[in-house]
Amino acid sequence: MSLDAPRPQVAAAPSFAAVAEELLDDVYGYLLYLTRDWALAEDLTGETFETALRRWGRFDPRRGTPRAWLLAIARSTALDRFRAEARRRRRELRAEAEQPREATDDQPRGEGFSPRLEEALRALTAGEREVVALRVVLELDGEETARLLGLTSTAVSTRLHRALAKLEERMRDHDLVA
Amino acid sequence: MTSSPDPIQELRASRPAAPPELRARIRALAAGEAAPASRPAWLRLPGRRAALVALPAAAALLLASAGILGLARSGPPGAVEAGERSKAAPELADQASPQPLPAGVAGAGGAPAPSPVAPDAGRAQRVTATLAVEVADSDAVSRAAQRALDLTRALGGHVVSASVATGEEGSASLIVRVPVTKVQEAIVRLSALGKIVSQQITIDDLQERLDALERRQRSLRAQIAALGARLASEPLDPETRARLEARLQNLRAELATLRREAAGTRAEARLATIQLEVVTPGARGVVPVPSRLDRALDEALNVLVWEGVVALAAAIVVAPLALLALVAGLGRRLYRRREEERLLAAR
Repeated sequence: MSLDAPRPQVAAAPSFAAVAEELLDDVYGYLLYLTRDWALAEDLTGETFETALRRWGRFDPRRGTPRAWLLAIARSTALDRFRAEARRRRRELRAEAEQPREATDDQPRGEGFSPRLEEALRALTAGEREVVALRVVLELDGEETARLLGLTSTAVSTRLHRALAKLEERMRDHDLVA
Repeated sequence: MTSSPDPIQELRASRPAAPPELRARIRALAAGEAAPASRPAWLRLPGRRAALVALPAAAALLLASAGILGLARSGPPGAVEAGERSKAAPELADQASPQPLPAGVAGAGGAPAPSPVAPDAGRAQRVTATLAVEVADSDAVSRAAQRALDLTRALGGHVVSASVATGEEGSASLIVRVPVTKVQEAIVRLSALGKIVSQQITIDDLQERLDALERRQRSLRAQIAALGARLASEPLDPETRARLEARLQNLRAELATLRREAAGTRAEARLATIQLEVVTPGARGVVPVPSRLDRALDEALNVLVWEGVVALAAAIVVAPLALLALVAGLGRRLYRRREEERLLAAR
């Protein structure tokens, strides 16, 4: 299995509408893998494109592809949301709001995944899922992924192989049970 | 026997697609709002590239400003040459005090000779003059020294010391004393031996000192007369007589000293001291006047040195702050990286 695929090239000065049309699935797919929540992924995708539109004037094609730029905004948007949620949870704990919380829905809510893939993805952390999304699903190369995640290429490679091994193991287990 | 699952194939096969509602929303967003215009290319330069442009530009600016300032400060050739000549013999030039000329007196080569300050004939004064004249060559030095000696004698003066050195670059140093009544004439004529390089005339008043000596002498003479009369006319016991006679003797000795001192002061006031230096241009160590280009380069170098000093001072002030900012930035980055890891691991 080969992970090295040619990077999709976008015209030097594309319009925002063209970029949005071309890369919407990539951004949404990445956010869906990261959050495992289609509703949240939709929200974050919308926020990502709103932010991207505001910052479109600052985009420099010489510094990277529009896809890497959009994915970086998507990641930052998702992390901001995660931070806000973490703060909210801490506040709730501090206030000792004794209202029983509804049980967290740990079931994967991605659409279009096979049951065994959904179950296998549940075994991965968000960090592992995003590496899988970027390297396997969106076919970014190792260097671009490392730059986006702020990691070294080696760390990305290690994380990816660990994630794929987990996925393979879970899928095999699922097949055995089935 | 079951085949091993291929997660990569399955992941790629089930690549998520954005729901149609989301796509419609994004299309509306992209179509409805005009994207802001791209910034000019130079504003989009990343930090490192901007530094690659800014640093050489700043260096070029500093060099250009040093060059322009150097050129502006090197000044027109004539003005600076005069200044450089002054630097060549500062100890002489600083003392020069050009004076109006008496009619008919001129220096060698047609250059006007300055008129010396005339001493006050009615008062005792110590007059000291230092002259430096420049002549063409070593032979001219010898001739000028000889004429100076002749002139001194002709004016009724005498030579205190004379030193004449000849060779490739000659020089002569003479100290002469002439009657103070002839000093003005002596200075004018000695100045005419060559081109005047410098002239200094010092007049110290001795009259007050002489008057004080004479007052003290009169007082002593009065005391001596009174004591002599007392010793001659009054019957005194031997002890008193001996004490008065000792006192009388001291007064007479003091009077003699004062007379000698007054005579010396009067002699000093009678003769003026003139120190004459006769030199050739080479012996004076005349520095060749640098060209405008040399001066401009010197000035530019000075400006560059000052720019360097200012830059160094700024770096000394800014460096600790920059280091702190760097450490804070790295710390913040590390913290965020760990926080992100925690957030992602928790989901």
